[in-house]
This record gives sequence, C-alpha cells and structure tokens, in this order.
Amino acid sequence: MTVSTKIAAGLFGKRVDAFTDRNFKYLLIAPAIFILLLIGIFPLINLVVASFQDITILGEDKSFQGLLNYKRLFSDARMWESLLHTVLFMAVALPIELLLGTVMALLLLEKMWGRQIFIALLIIPTVIAPIVAGATWRLMFDNRFGPINQVLGWFKGEPVNIVWIVNSSYVWAAILATEVWQWTPFMFLILLAGFSNVDRTQVEAAQIDGASNLRIFFKIVIPAIRPVLAIALLIRALDLFRLFDIVWALTRGGPGTMTETISTFTYVKGFEQFDTSYTSAVAIVVVVLLSIAVIFALRRVEIAR
Amino acid sequence: MTGETRADAVYVPKDWWLRRRTWTYVGRYAAAIVITLLFLFPVYWIFIMAFKTPEEVFASPPIWYPAQIQFKTFAVLFRDGDVGTIGNSLITAGVSTVLAMFFGTIAAYSLARFRTGGENLAIWIISQRMIPPIVIIFPVFLVYVFFGWVDTFQGLILLYTAFNLPYVTWMMRGYIEDIPIELEQSALVDGWSRWQVLLRVVFPMARAGLFATAVFTFIFAWNDFIFALVLTRVEITTYPVQVTSFFGQQQTFWAKIGAMSILGTLPIFFAVALFQRYLVRGISLGAIKG
Amino acid sequence: MARLRITGLYKSYDSVQAVRGVDLDIPEGEFAVLVGPSGCGKSTMLRTIAGLEEPDAGTIEIDGEIVNDLPPRSRDVAMVFQNYALYPYMKVFDNIAFGLRARKFPAGEIKERVLAAAATLNISGLLDRLPRQLSGGERQRVAIGRAIVRDARLFLFDEPLSNLDAQLREEMRLEIKELHQRLGKTMIYVTHDQIEARTLADRVVLLNNGRIEQEGAPLDLFERPVNRFVAGFLGSPSMNFIPARLVAADESLAVTFEDGTALAVPAAAYERLAGRSGHDVIFGVRTEHISRARDGDTREGLAPLSATIDVVQPTGSRTYVTFRLSGTPVMAELRAHDVEHPGQRIELDVDMNRAILIDPETDLVL
Repeated sequence: MTVSTKIAAGLFGKRVDAFTDRNFKYLLIAPAIFILLLIGIFPLINLVVASFQDITILGEDKSFQGLLNYKRLFSDARMWESLLHTVLFMAVALPIELLLGTVMALLLLEKMWGRQIFIALLIIPTVIAPIVAGATWRLMFDNRFGPINQVLGWFKGEPVNIVWIVNSSYVWAAILATEVWQWTPFMFLILLAGFSNVDRTQVEAAQIDGASNLRIFFKIVIPAIRPVLAIALLIRALDLFRLFDIVWALTRGGPGTMTETISTFTYVKGFEQFDTSYTSAVAIVVVVLLSIAVIFALRRVEIAR
Repeated sequence: MTGETRADAVYVPKDWWLRRRTWTYVGRYAAAIVITLLFLFPVYWIFIMAFKTPEEVFASPPIWYPAQIQFKTFAVLFRDGDVGTIGNSLITAGVSTVLAMFFGTIAAYSLARFRTGGENLAIWIISQRMIPPIVIIFPVFLVYVFFGWVDTFQGLILLYTAFNLPYVTWMMRGYIEDIPIELEQSALVDGWSRWQVLLRVVFPMARAGLFATAVFTFIFAWNDFIFALVLTRVEITTYPVQVTSFFGQQQTFWAKIGAMSILGTLPIFFAVALFQRYLVRGISLGAIKG
Repeated sequence: MARLRITGLYKSYDSVQAVRGVDLDIPEGEFAVLVGPSGCGKSTMLRTIAGLEEPDAGTIEIDGEIVNDLPPRSRDVAMVFQNYALYPYMKVFDNIAFGLRARKFPAGEIKERVLAAAATLNISGLLDRLPRQLSGGERQRVAIGRAIVRDARLFLFDEPLSNLDAQLREEMRLEIKELHQRLGKTMIYVTHDQIEARTLADRVVLLNNGRIEQEGAPLDLFERPVNRFVAGFLGSPSMNFIPARLVAADESLAVTFEDGTALAVPAAAYERLAGRSGHDVIFGVRTEHISRARDGDTREGLAPLSATIDVVQPTGSRTYVTFRLSGTPVMAELRAHDVEHPGQRIELDVDMNRAILIDPETDLVL
C-alpha cells in the first residue's frame, strides 16, 4: 500500500480501499491524457482562434477576420509548391528505399560469417541525428572539400566542379541521396525481420512443388510480410511528410524556394516572418490534409488484410 | 543385392571451391562488404574532420585521412563551452525520458489490462505521434511565449515528454500484454495492492521492454532538431542546434561539426548496440516482435 | 478453514454468458472439483471467488461474510494457477515468501514458514534456484508451496496439472489429495479432466454452458447421472449412445433397435419404465458393461448380443473393440485376448442393470 492509500484506508476503512481499486485504471491513464491535452488541445484552440484573426509581424488585429487567411492560403503558390515538393519527394524516395532495403535484406537474410556485425554497422546511419546526417552530406557534396566531386573526377578523368546544393539540376539529387542513405537501413532492418519471420515450411513446400525462386518470393514471401510492409511504409511516409532537418542542413529550402518542403515553409512563415495568423491557417490545413491521407491509407491497409 | 547398384550411383562431391554454393557465398560476402563500406563512409568522413588540422580540413581536393591524429578541436570545444550543449541535451532528453516512461508506462498498463477507453483511446494516443512536429511546435511556441517558457528547461522537457508519451504508451502496452496476466493476479490474491503489483511484478517483468523503450525515447529527444531550434535561444541550446551554429556565412567549421557529431553520436551507438535485440520492435512501433 | 456459499451467480463477457445462475454450497474442509468442457464457466467461477472478476449478479460468501466488494487481497484465499505464475526474477524462496511479505510477516516467521512448506513438498533443496532452473513438476510444487505457506482459509486451484506430462500428473494428483487430507482446508479445484475430478473430489460439480448439470460424490455422478451430458462426460472412453425404442412384449420390456436387435430390460426396472413403452429412447451403455459372453454366466440382467468386430485396439490389460449396432459405432472394453482380429463375429453380453435410457427430447435419464 502506498502511504496515501494507507492513511485513507485507516480513516475510512475498506470502502476507500475498494474505491482505489475500482478507479485504479483511470488514475493510471489520467496524467498521460492530461499532458497530451495540455500540449495538444489548448495550443490547438489557440491555433484555430489565431487563424481567424490577423496577427502579423506588423501588428495584432485580434478581430474576427473570417476566412481571410484561408483565402490567402489557397492562392499562395509557394505554399502549394512546398506541399507538392514534399509529396513528390516522398513518391520518389519511398520506392527507392524500399527497393534498396529489400535487396540488402535478401543479401543478409541467410547465414554468413559476421552477419550480425554487418547488420549492426548498417544500422548506424538511422540512429544518427538527422541534422548531423544533413551536415555530413553537405560536406560530402561540398564542391571543393567534399569527396563526391573528387571521386566523380577520378571516373571522368578531369576535375569535376558541381555545386550540388546550389545548382538547381542537382540539389534534389543531393537531398535524395542523404535521405536514402539515412533511412534505407530502417527499411532494411524491418524487411530483414519480416523475411526471417516468414514461415519456412511454406517456402519449402513450394520448393518441393517446383516453384521458381522468383515465384516463391512474389507469391509467398511478399504476401506473408504484407502487414509488416504496410507499417514500415506508413511510418516512413509520415516521416517523409515532416521532412525538415535534412533539408534545413543542406539547403534551407534554397536555392530560392526550390527545395522548400511544407515543414520548412511553415517554419519560415511562422518563425522568420512571424506571419502568425497565416501560419496558423497553414498548420490547420496541413493537419486536415494529413488526417485525410492517413485515414485513407489505413483503410487501404485494412482492406488489404 | 542392392549394394552393387548403390555403389555405382555413389555421389562424389566436388571440391569445395568448385561448388556453386561457394561462389554464391563469396559474391554475397563481397556485396555485403561493399554496401557496408558505402553506408559507413559518410560517417567516417564527418568524424575524421575532428582529427584533421585546419589545412587538412580545407584541402581541395580533400585529404582522406589526417597525417596525424590530433585532438585540438575537442580542446577548443571544451574551452569555448560548446560541450555544455551536450549537458543541456542530457538534461532535457534525460528528464523527459524519465517522465514519459513513467506516465506512459502506467497509462499503457491501464490500456493493456483494463482496456480503458477501448481500442479507440489507444489509437487516439498513437495518432498524436503522427502529427508533423512543425504543426505541434507552432501553437506550442505561441503559448510558451505567453507564459515565458521559451528557452527554459521546463518548456522543452514538457514538450519532449508530451511528444514521446504516445510512443511509450504504445510500445509498453505491447510489452505489458506479453506478460502472463496470472503473475499479477497471483500477486493480487497473495495480498499486494494494485500499486505494489505494478512495482513488484509488472515493472520487473517488463524490465527489458522498459529499458529498450527508454533508449529509443531518449534518442528521439536527443536527436530532435526542430523543437529545440524553435524553443532554445542561449540558455539551453541542445547539441543538434549547436551543430548548425557552426555553419557560418563565410565558412563552415567542419572540424567542430565533426567533433560535436562524435560527442553526440557515440553514446547513441553504444545504447543501440546494447539494445539491438529490441531495435526492430522499437522502430516498427511494435509491429514486429523480432 | 471456511465454508463457501455462492448464490445466483451470473457473469458475462461482452456477449458471452460465462456463468448463468449458479448456486453452490461447499462445507468446511471439503475438496470440491469444478469440472466441465472448456468454456463451461468453471474458471470464471474460480476467478470470481478469488475476486479477480466481478460478478454481474449473485453473492459470494466465505464463512458467512459476503465478499463481493472485497478486493482479492482482502479475501484471504490462496490460488494456484495453471501456468504456475512463478516470478522468473525471484528465487524459489522469494517466490514462496512473496505472499507472506505482502502481509507483512516478520522475517523470522517468513523463513520458518517457507522452510516448513518446502519440506512438506520436498523442495527444500531448490530454494536458491530460479524458476527457469526447475522442471515442470518442481515448478508445480513451488506454486503449491506458495499457496500453502500463507495458511489461507480457502484454496483455489485453476487446472494446476494440465501442463504436466501424464506420469507426473498422476504423481501430483496423489500429492494434492494427501495435502488436502493433511491440511483439512476447503479446496476448490478446477479441471477439464474428468479422471482428475473423480479421483480427487469429495464433491464433483459438473458444469456445462455456465450452469451446474449435476453435483455430488464422484461415484454418485458416475453411476447415477441425471442426464445425457453427465453420462457422456464422465467415464473414459465415454459412454455409448444408441437411438432405440422401448417396446413392451407380454410382461416384459425390451430396448429394440432399428435393425431389429432387442435387449431385454431387467425386471427390476420394469415398474419405472413401463409407462414409456412405445416411445423413442436413447440407450446408453458404458464400454466396460459390454463383455464377451461366457458359458455359465447367469447373472441377472445380462442381455445377449452378437456383433461383427470392425476395429480392435489392444491396450495390454484390456482390449477395446468397435462394432456397429444398428449403424451406430459402439465401443466395448473386453479382456485382452477376447478378440483376435477385425471381422470376427462374437457373442457379447450387455449388462442391462448398468445401462441407462435417456429421453431424446429432454436428454434426462429415465
């Protein structure tokens, strides 16, 4: 018995005792819900209110402005472009990570000497802070001090001087390389676990039936790891949607607004231009769009099951 | 009588170096080594900066390894107090991990054993984690400005706690569900109170899960950049923010970035190596029990 | 020691009615076994008695005190779980002492009691081990030790032997029975194994679908089942049931089957069954009450039957044979060398004194 229940039991006898037992479950979950509401709901109310006002760096007009900010948002090409960048980048990065992760997982699926060491080493990029990963690749891609131009020069036979993070033809490739480098190991690890959990007897039965390796992979292994695959893709998609650190370290959204994602755009509007009401409206639209996408995705996953 | 026919058909194995298996193995091995080196090279590249002289850092074309390992950069970081940001990270990530672990675990117990709020409450809690941080941080920032909590430990710690709570709750719910419920029931019948059962049965039984979840919770807070970027100014700058401060207008202090990265990343390597067994379960939100 | 009384107990989970209307009165010191097929509500009842589940309706009294509102820790009962529920991170000693520590016993007395309990169960040498270093049987003893050390007024066993192999189960069964005789405590024991129930119990409570089908002394239930379920559940192999019709002929009754076979009903049962003549019945007979006909066996109530054997299953001391009676497979337990091979045609005697007749509409024994 804790001190408080002991005292309470002493004062009120068994009735309080039974009370704590019955309300125990609510007592346990109350602090968590309180904290989530504190950081979730109150600021959210504030956000909704601000989005109908006109608070900017120039002045605070707290009168009701109707859909002013939302109208502005719908005609803000820069905002929609940043959203488009985010979604397109996701559409390119996700399949690459999935494919590379699959190849690596298949490579290390069967026993080999030092397999655990390879796996442990391959995990490293994923646990590094994304901002450090961004900094690392900024150096890798540096046109003068970075090794990438140097290595390309070896192949080409003459010095290469690509200004990766400034040149609009290469800047997305640089971000993509960083992203793929950091998160392919995540895919690899999850797929490796997924593959290892596939029922071996099913595979062996198919082998005895004379199915080809390719057929076994697509007809037995892939369906078996489908739930795992769905979760991994969902987690990665959500991460890619919030893409910020890597872009911030590499380009800060530049050149111009060429590599702006929805997260960096919101940051610039809110914390550099202090366009408070407008940023509130953007944040709300982002949450609404994301929720629709997630609900849609979850439905798909459920139906697929 | 079948002995003769069998003798005729005796299978003579090829020498090991002629077998196809051997060559497949060698191929796989070579590929594994190449891929691992490719993935590790950038880490090597940023880390080695810390040990180069300024001339070596800014050599063009770049030099792949320093002529002599030197620790001057680390000395500078200690002298200028940059290392203090590691301390700030330790405090914010550490305290918020303890808080998130405690409140998240007891909430998880409630969800796992009493089905409090049904499946809906559990899903609502984990959905809190899916909101992009930028959308969380903006309204929180406005509220914090009002309360004067920007650039304070309590502000950042509260935010990290709230941000990690859904993760802890979700993960610990899974770990607790793995504990045979009879252990708790037996303790209840034996005469222990509900709280004592948590303390004496559930926590020790979920020990491994608790540590693993704590490690990942700590890493999330430790590696966070965006919250810290907004909420820290001078007083409580954390290590990821400090790393970006070395990006200058004129030049970037790559040696310092390398040294800070080593200081900020090595502890995490050790923690993850220690809990590698739980890594897959941790990053897949419990989807794979591994 | 305590008397347990349950009145009007109901409990449902979501849409499943686990227990529906159970009344039970277990006197002090009795060994009661709750038995029934899985899902019959026996475990739910036990957990309700322990306080791990709250009943929807009904009262639970221990020694005249209604304990419905008491949390498990205040009920002073001890429970042994199916999976033993040993704490893997505690040594055997601490596992056994765990309940005593909860009740704040002084260290000296804890040690004394644990050692005594360990001695009783022959596990004194294992006190420094961890549960994972023990065999299944040893774990079972530790689990029992944890229950007896506290000297609770009521002992609850939830299928404690079902994880053991057959031989060990028999051994432990004996020990539990001995333990009861020595301690004289009221014990409630849940099992799905009817042999365990019959061998252990002072009183068997046979449950089905959340209701009590029949309760009483084991042999009572075995010999005088009230309905088809009880008759079929107790006994191994289980009783044969064959659809038949009761036909009156002169001053006697016979059970006749569709293929024309007739078995005479003994005179003693004539009075009881006369009113039923001309009705459909289900004829029930245990395997051991069919035997090979022997010359000179003139016991009262033996009805002759010829059969062609389909399957022979020798077990060593006895041989089980299967044949068809009016299309229904029937099993009989014969002596070891009564039958040589399948297909053999033999003469059998059915002990009609021990056979039962069941009303097919109500399933009650006539």
